[in-house]
Amino acid sequence: MATIRIPTPLRGYAGGLSAVAVNGANVAEVLGDLTRQYPDLHGHLFDGDQLRSFVNIYVGQEDIRYLQGAATPVAAADTLLIVPSIAGGAR
Amino acid sequence: MLYLTSDLHAEIVRLGVAAYPYEGCGLLLGVMTDTAKVVRGVRPMLNVWPVVEERRVRFRIDERDWLAVELEAAAQGLDIIGVFHSHPDHPPIASPRDLAWAAWPGYSYLITEIRAGQAGPSRSWELNTARAAFEEESVQIIADQAPPVG
Repeated sequence: MATIRIPTPLRGYAGGLSAVAVNGANVAEVLGDLTRQYPDLHGHLFDGDQLRSFVNIYVGQEDIRYLQGAATPVAAADTLLIVPSIAGGAR
Repeated sequence: MLYLTSDLHAEIVRLGVAAYPYEGCGLLLGVMTDTAKVVRGVRPMLNVWPVVEERRVRFRIDERDWLAVELEAAAQGLDIIGVFHSHPDHPPIASPRDLAWAAWPGYSYLITEIRAGQAGPSRSWELNTARAAFEEESVQIIADQAPPVG
């Protein structure tokens, strides 16, 4: 099974875990498995059925936007990361 | 409550002064519980806002840099618990811009004012659960790395 790391502030919605083992052949399937295991995560990652605009999914070191998006294959040895886009400014 | 040693706070302020007149930024590493966050390290990050002159009022952290820090921190038993950035010649108050581009509730957003190149106050903010506003978070500057009671 692949592993998906859970961002620190979302661990309370994932049983306190820093990483979750997930089933699935591609990113869409593993994210679906993650939110089936921990339904409270869904609203923090998705707006409807789309990933929130600030949520980026990496398979290893690669952003899925530059791979095959939600269809990006996931192997059992893969680690996925959920990385936020962070920006801001004084005014 | 955000606990931060005086040495780490001084480092954050130094980074803001060094970045002036642009916004400096970085990540807070440490541990997060239900009631508090304890900063154990800071990592300066490149401000990659694409228009250089706009970095006077804008910052952006590259997701690949965040990923690298997350993995490095995990190897040391630490987590990313927040973001710090500076406000050149502007109060350390989370702005609508900070709000628009914030991530999840739970991270600390520590902001330091740097006025005329000199260190100003720091204040910390947390996104509310509705992601609709920031609420100020108390910051406790402590003398050493001893964890808070409880």
